[in-house]
Amino acid sequence: MRVAIAEDSVLLREGVAQLLIDAGIEVTARCCTADELLARVAEDPPDAVVVDIRLPPTHTDEGMQAALTIRQQYPDVGVLVLSQYVEVGLAMRLLADSAEGVGYLLKDRVSEVKEFIAALRRVADGGSALDPTIVSTMLKRHRSSDPLDSLTPREREVLELMATGASNAGIAESMVITQRAAEKYVSTIFSKLGIPATGSESRRVLAVLLFLRS
Amino acid sequence: MAAVLPLSPERHRAAPKPALLWTLGLAAVAACAGIAVLGALNEELYQPALRVLLVSWVSLPFIFAGIVAWRRRPDSSFGPLLIVAGFVTQLSVLQWISQPLLNTVGQLCDLLVAAVWLHVFLAYPTGRLAGRAERVVVIIGYVAAVGLQIVILMLGGFNDRHLLTVVKRQTAAEAVQNVQLLTLSALALVGVVLLWRRWWALPRWQRRRPAQILINCFSLSLVMLAALLVAGAFQLPGFEVLRLTTFAVAGLAPLAFLAGLLDARLAKAGVGELIVQLRTDPAPDLRALLAQALRDPTLSLIYWLPQYGSWADQDGNPANLPEPDSGRRVTLVEQNGEQVAALVYDATFGEEPELVEAVSAAAGIALENGRLEAELRARLQELHGSRTRVVEAQQNERRRLERDLHDGAQQRLVALALELGMLAEQADSDPTTQSRLKRARSELAESLSELRDIAHGLHPAVVSGHGLAVALESMVAVTPLEVELKTDGLPRLPEPLEVAAYYVVSESLTNAAKHSQASRVSVGVGVTNGTLSAEIVDDGIGGVDSERGTGLRGLADRVEALNGRLRIWSAPGDGTRVRAEIPCG
Repeated sequence: MRVAIAEDSVLLREGVAQLLIDAGIEVTARCCTADELLARVAEDPPDAVVVDIRLPPTHTDEGMQAALTIRQQYPDVGVLVLSQYVEVGLAMRLLADSAEGVGYLLKDRVSEVKEFIAALRRVADGGSALDPTIVSTMLKRHRSSDPLDSLTPREREVLELMATGASNAGIAESMVITQRAAEKYVSTIFSKLGIPATGSESRRVLAVLLFLRS
Repeated sequence: MAAVLPLSPERHRAAPKPALLWTLGLAAVAACAGIAVLGALNEELYQPALRVLLVSWVSLPFIFAGIVAWRRRPDSSFGPLLIVAGFVTQLSVLQWISQPLLNTVGQLCDLLVAAVWLHVFLAYPTGRLAGRAERVVVIIGYVAAVGLQIVILMLGGFNDRHLLTVVKRQTAAEAVQNVQLLTLSALALVGVVLLWRRWWALPRWQRRRPAQILINCFSLSLVMLAALLVAGAFQLPGFEVLRLTTFAVAGLAPLAFLAGLLDARLAKAGVGELIVQLRTDPAPDLRALLAQALRDPTLSLIYWLPQYGSWADQDGNPANLPEPDSGRRVTLVEQNGEQVAALVYDATFGEEPELVEAVSAAAGIALENGRLEAELRARLQELHGSRTRVVEAQQNERRRLERDLHDGAQQRLVALALELGMLAEQADSDPTTQSRLKRARSELAESLSELRDIAHGLHPAVVSGHGLAVALESMVAVTPLEVELKTDGLPRLPEPLEVAAYYVVSESLTNAAKHSQASRVSVGVGVTNGTLSAEIVDDGIGGVDSERGTGLRGLADRVEALNGRLRIWSAPGDGTRVRAEIPCG
């Protein structure tokens, strides 16, 4: 797998690069601005980019804009956005059209090496990775006559994993159940919440998010 | 009683002594009597009675109008100029006398009359020639009228009684005379053009009586003068009739000028009206009333603020006195020896120092009140400015701190967490090391989380970075209430506005969640007619006291510092509605 990084803190940029190299991932570019990233992606499109949401010069939304641009112009390049704060509003914006090949994680997640690499690989393969805090925040939202109340604790757990972009195999592994059992949970949840079942795993991320947001 | 000091660009001159004016008036009348005697004694004169009458008609109105103008406007040299014009006309009669010296003086003054008229008409109303063109025309006029006259006399023109004849060249003298008459005639016509050019340059409101009558009268006189001079040069028939009408019209000009002065006197009736209006209206628009009374829509009123040592307009905004050559006139109004206000008005036409004096005296108390109000407004502005600065400084400082944390401690701690994570991957499976590493990583994760909350509490970076709509969506997502959010079509706005609205919604949602027992909240943020409005309505128990607690007070400060306002409706049992409106156009 080939990955480009855009991060203005040298410490973190080199750390992430080392992390990827140790995991056998080729780092194609180490950029410190959004413009540099866009130029390098245009030159040599990688499988995925890891981009800090706040980049120079203004440290406001340059990283976000670069992520959206790459999503639009290079649909085959996975985009993993890292941020010190994760915001539901930004997640919704990033996933506005589809959850395919996109991830949005709290920066701290880089320290959970295995999970981080797994998320990056998922994104590069066209899947999604959404920070668990976003999903749990949205699940906490109060609703009158909440259909979520009809879910069992196990089903809620599956829903959370599903919303973060985990595949059926991933869910099975996390919950220590068979893949078959995981699939069964997923279809039960969809019918309880009244969400039309969709084939792809990243499409169901968006479906669940939109459900949670409404 | 208000005292009024006129401040004008030119030096302030003392009024002429009444004795001098009386002497001038009596001299003029006596001169006319003398002229009548001369006319009666002179046997060569054609229609002597009519000539005497004409000379009196064109000299006395000039002199009397001049006396009145000089007394009323000591600053203007227009009055003295009128008087000179009258006496020059009278002096020209000396040519009727055969005594050589007096005859010479009379001959020299003969056409000087035409040049002086031109000067008078072009110098109205200040007595000074305003433009370069005017000055050139008048100078050429004097040269032609006196200089060429001397040449003619030296060539032995007119008669043998004067003293200046050097050679006797009748033909040459006549040729020079024709040049002189035609030059003066042309200058008179140029004068008409200059008068109208000045007239059209005036703002519309100034093109009114009496200036219009005056310009018409001056122009007609100049046209007639031009015709008379041409008739004289070509010795056309009907010269005498033309002379009669020209003099008749020229005599009307000073009368029109007097009518203008009278008109100004009539305008003083407006002062009475002003007093009535000031009495009936407790909070008058003083500037508008004074502008009306002084018939100058461009009038401006500024106040002296002794506390600030500066001038300010009615709203307390800093103002300046006009520059000396700006064409504006200033009258200072004093009360008990202290300057209170200044009237700044147009000085082009119809300057009426007495009227201004009467008006500002009538408005004395109102002006003092106006000054106090202007001072109050200036203080309010100052106060508002300092509050804005305090809020701004606070926000800047918090933004800076958030940025420092984000770029500094947070990044370093994440890098450290990454290092520890990688170490955990590589470390051998010694259980003690692994468990200590695990504890360290979890401590670090906790610190990062706390630091994140602190930084986020300092400044909502997402607002600056991604706008209010995105930030509010995130906020609503973490609010433990059912919230209906409407931010449709909300554009990006300047950061202080977005941050203020963000805090209004944030504080209101926090209050609703903590105290209101509400089950539903609706949040609407939008821009209409250049105003950003944020409204938060809950269905809780109401009864919020906006004076209690620093949260709402702080919000109001934030909103008011941006010229906005924050209102809260919270009747007990009827829910709470918070609405902030901030101008953003």
